[in-house]
Amino acid sequence: MRDFEYLPTKTIKEACSLISQYKEEGKILAGGQSLITLLRQKLISPSYLIDIKGISELNYITFDEKNGLRMGALTTHRAIEKSPIIQKKYNVLSEMEKSVASVQTRNWGTIGGNLCSADPIGDPAPSLIALSAKIKIVSSRGGKTIPLDEFFTDYFTTLLEPDEILTEIQLPSPVAHTGVVYMKFSTIEAGIKIVSTSISITLESDRRTCKDAKIVMSAVAPVPFNAKKAGNLMAGKKINDDLIAEAAQLASEETNPTPDVHASAEFRREIANVLVKRAIKQAFEKAKIA
Amino acid sequence: MEIAKKILKVKVNGRPYEMLIKPKTTLLQLLRNDLGLTGAKQACMDNSCGACTVIVDKMAVKACSVLALQVNGREVTTVEGLASRDGKLHPLQQTFLDFHAFQCGFCTPGKLMSAKAMLDENLHPNEEDIRRDMEGNLCRCTGYKQYIDAIKAVAQKKEGAK
Amino acid sequence: MLIQEKFLVKATINRVWEFANNPEEIGSCVPGCEKIEKIDERRYLTIVQAGVGPIKVRFKFISTITEIDEPKHIHLESQGADMGKAGSFTQKSDVDLREISENEVEVSYISNINVVGRLATFGERVMRAQAKKIGEQFIRSFKEKIEAKKEIKS
Repeated sequence: MRDFEYLPTKTIKEACSLISQYKEEGKILAGGQSLITLLRQKLISPSYLIDIKGISELNYITFDEKNGLRMGALTTHRAIEKSPIIQKKYNVLSEMEKSVASVQTRNWGTIGGNLCSADPIGDPAPSLIALSAKIKIVSSRGGKTIPLDEFFTDYFTTLLEPDEILTEIQLPSPVAHTGVVYMKFSTIEAGIKIVSTSISITLESDRRTCKDAKIVMSAVAPVPFNAKKAGNLMAGKKINDDLIAEAAQLASEETNPTPDVHASAEFRREIANVLVKRAIKQAFEKAKIA
Repeated sequence: MEIAKKILKVKVNGRPYEMLIKPKTTLLQLLRNDLGLTGAKQACMDNSCGACTVIVDKMAVKACSVLALQVNGREVTTVEGLASRDGKLHPLQQTFLDFHAFQCGFCTPGKLMSAKAMLDENLHPNEEDIRRDMEGNLCRCTGYKQYIDAIKAVAQKKEGAK
Repeated sequence: MLIQEKFLVKATINRVWEFANNPEEIGSCVPGCEKIEKIDERRYLTIVQAGVGPIKVRFKFISTITEIDEPKHIHLESQGADMGKAGSFTQKSDVDLREISENEVEVSYISNINVVGRLATFGERVMRAQAKKIGEQFIRSFKEKIEAKKEIKS
């Protein structure tokens, strides 16, 4: 890789001050599992690397019934996978994290870094969006909290300004009668995912009528894709096989996949249809007993 | 403009080191080039094969994708640190030998370190656990079965010893 | 990498031909185009900036028109490289214009692009995504600019 100045930081304030000084010439380094690879391949060459991995105030998982879950951006994938509170209250996250990259990557890579690298085939983002996640972004100019759904704008691109840092991921407390499911499809079990989906179904107290449905997919669009039309189709209706098939079909039509060596656009659309159908069924069953 | 070198303090296989290094040095480069520990291998260039796996503070990590300066103040274990001082092989190494688990040997140091990290954390992994936790270590020679069997055998021995 | 597009433009075939052969006008449709310069009757020098997420490239390339059949067909070949050494490419394109009616032309092009270097090895997924996007933007600009000019004229 090309040379850079290395600037380790111990506080958020320090990191904000440095990145606002260097802006586009600097890059924030957390676990580096995306960044170091790009540097080694010489596809990017920042002059300054601001290491935030040592900022302990960004590494935490806390939960309370009222405010829900708060995760610091430096929480590793492995910590999410193994967290007892996440396994209990947001089990879909733990399940999803089990198949993110490999153990080695999960040990060092962080959820904040993963979200900021904005890979359209990434799995954490769709799962978090299905859970209605919000994220906190800070800079030396101030801070703001936005829905994660609005964060991604294009392939590998987010709303993050050159001087901003993602600091926290927030999830609302789990809602009654809700089932959330993560499902993926790959041609080889441990291979690159062709399509994955995270679906949240909330039922009315009659446990048949859909109150809210979130259908989110990875690898079918330039960004983690929230199939809002399909979700809206289901809201307010009694769930049955026909409705599920209709929603899955609509979700698949809404996608805009890019073909690549692993799958054509048509194949991804077809897989999306099948996967969404199966996952809605599973989420429905989970919601019935939740 | 000369980029400032930085001080790195790290323990590798129990030995403390203090050195001045260029920031762009990866942990893999540090181990292989600066410390002569060539067990961890450079193979894929896109953070996917796991041949460079080492253990940092009990966690298996890919040394090619970690900046050396990020392990400042930490402890690193490589395959060279597995056998005991008197040369006796670690149970994993011995069992890999007994089970003929490796062929060309290129991925083997990485596999040993991933397996060690897994067994140190989880005393009773079943085959599914082993297969999943070893996903990050690719092998072109063996078809994986011998490796899985060897790791299972070590896990069972550990359980038996309890 | 094969890129194939077909689209309709509301203009006369001669106007479309004129537009397509004018470096400034065509250049203004290519997102990130910094400059297009005529070297001689058949050759152009172009610099285009492109990027996705954190990766930015600047391609400098020379295009040569090898076949020309006014106002229906152009075959051009380009060769160039990223100025930051991330990769180089060769490209062969066929552009065909077909008159649908007096004021409607179907433009179709087939481009065969071959990228080598780090951009190809590591950036394949990213490149395809960008190629698709750039193609869509190009068509939008092309249509807007020709059809706008037409309105001013009339």
